[in-house]
Amino acid sequence: MSNVTTMDAPVKVSAPQEKTRRELKAFNGLAHLALIFWAVVTAGPLLWVVLASFKSNTEIFLGEPFALPSTFSLETYLSAWDQAHIGRYFLNSVFVVLVSTAGTMLFGSMAAYVLARYSFVGNRIVYYLFVSGLAFPTFMALGPLFHILKNMGLLNTYHGLIMVYIAYSLPFTIFFLAAFFKTLPHEIDEAATVDGASHTRKFFQIMMPMAKSGLVSITIFNIVGQWNQYLLPLVIMQGQGADQKWVLTQGIANISTQAGYHAEWSTLFAALTLSIIPMIVVYAIFQRQIQAGLTAGAVK
Amino acid sequence: MQAVDSRPVQAPAPLKTADRSGARRKRDTRTAWLLSLPTLIILIGMLGYPLYRMIVLSFQNMRLRELFSGATPPWAGVDQYAKALTDDVFWGIVARTAAFTVVSVTLSVTAGLGIALLMRRVHAKVRIFMMVAMMFVWALPQLVAAQAFRWLTDSDFGVLNYLFSKVFGDEWLNHSWFVNPWEGWAVITTLVVWAGIPFLAISLSAGLTQVPKELVEAATVDGASSWQTLRNITLPILKPLLTIVTTLSVIWNFGLFTQNWALRDSHPEPVYQTLATYSYTQAFGRSLYSYGSAISVITVLLMLGVMVFYIRQMFKIGEVD
Repeated sequence: MSNVTTMDAPVKVSAPQEKTRRELKAFNGLAHLALIFWAVVTAGPLLWVVLASFKSNTEIFLGEPFALPSTFSLETYLSAWDQAHIGRYFLNSVFVVLVSTAGTMLFGSMAAYVLARYSFVGNRIVYYLFVSGLAFPTFMALGPLFHILKNMGLLNTYHGLIMVYIAYSLPFTIFFLAAFFKTLPHEIDEAATVDGASHTRKFFQIMMPMAKSGLVSITIFNIVGQWNQYLLPLVIMQGQGADQKWVLTQGIANISTQAGYHAEWSTLFAALTLSIIPMIVVYAIFQRQIQAGLTAGAVK
Repeated sequence: MQAVDSRPVQAPAPLKTADRSGARRKRDTRTAWLLSLPTLIILIGMLGYPLYRMIVLSFQNMRLRELFSGATPPWAGVDQYAKALTDDVFWGIVARTAAFTVVSVTLSVTAGLGIALLMRRVHAKVRIFMMVAMMFVWALPQLVAAQAFRWLTDSDFGVLNYLFSKVFGDEWLNHSWFVNPWEGWAVITTLVVWAGIPFLAISLSAGLTQVPKELVEAATVDGASSWQTLRNITLPILKPLLTIVTTLSVIWNFGLFTQNWALRDSHPEPVYQTLATYSYTQAFGRSLYSYGSAISVITVLLMLGVMVFYIRQMFKIGEVD
């Protein structure tokens, strides 16, 4: 923060307070307007999707995009869930994301913890090795990844997909958590060492609770990231009987490519809405921690 | 950041004898390696090895025949690279991807920062409303967002044409947004910026809470304008975070795949190809696996070449020392 103190603010006698206050008020009004406008622009497309998901196909094509549907029936949702197999894909996604987020958090927090709190031989090399994964765009390794999974017999399997998800989530997780663990006070963990706590005990009973907000926000980040994945499952979940094992994004893509022939647009919108719901639930539950975690973790 | 980070340097424990702490250090090293081992194995297996294979593959000539028979593909030296580097189509795609990245990152970081700054000044209720709206968009799968935009811009039933025809007249009915590549890319850029802002605004506004109020107040009392306060106090404090999110945005946007892929119905026309979709189409669409790999390698080298400074900065910020 040294750069702040060197700031050479012109020392002026402050202008009459009245004027500043009026200016501030006008500015705040504008700020409110701008933000509300932006919120509408942001939420607009989403509202439109939700609205369209309740409409029948004919209503969608009526040319009145903002008209309310004639009845709010859940029919489109039922048809998406059953006939378009969105229900199956939804559960597949939930399963894959649950397991792979758990794995990512377990491995990631262990690695980040030792990298941040222990100085050991090779520390820096390992850290760079881990976070260099951040610099590589996903699509880059797709071809070889396909072959490796094929050779290992992991193509079109959940554990293959889960392993890949974990691998692609780890670099950012470690990057974020290492920075976070570093900010935690050293005194408590030294006291624990003096009292004879084992490494495992220190990690699970002292560090994990202290790092809770950081852990929660990166967990959410991973859940969102993995729930959103399309490219990786597209490459990995193919082959015989793959359409039984697809994840939600693949199911949605499938409806939209089929839509051209079967005209099931309302189903598509229902599927789109369904895919957003779990994320809303996650946010609703963890909103407070997300805020706290981002605040603490984002800036060391 | 230094001030925040300067916890007292630990004094060496005076009671411990030299060899005991040496033994402890050794044990620590073992534990540390043990705990990083799962991560190490997974990353080497799923990221490192594919990377290595891809580099090898790019020097070979792998086609469908080798894929099915499992035979080692014939070596091709730098043929694949020569093919890509002498191909005007490839360079056109490089330029397009780079231009898109610059425009989209500039727009989204500026807007994200602006929104983060504005959010500090508005009523708490408006702020919560904003947060919720942004969380929704952030949580939206890229593919879903792309599908939504595909429908918004649909030429016959899209909301965009509906609104434009109401405001600007009927010639906008049935307007096709992807005939003119400039319009098409404007749609894609809007989508990417729209979807990218929440992450930026949320993390930057979290970062802004770290700016000490006293400093800002002191500056205001001293007569600094809002602009001066922003430039001399807020931005320097925010700089590490800005570096991180900008670098990440560049990496993400340079690898643009889902959005143009979905908006063009899984068959992007040549003008809508980016390096990622091009590499994918060559490898999986035309079974030119080696050529696709060579394109990927070149892509990453290009990106690392431009970004090396920033990526180093980013790593330094999060570095463990």
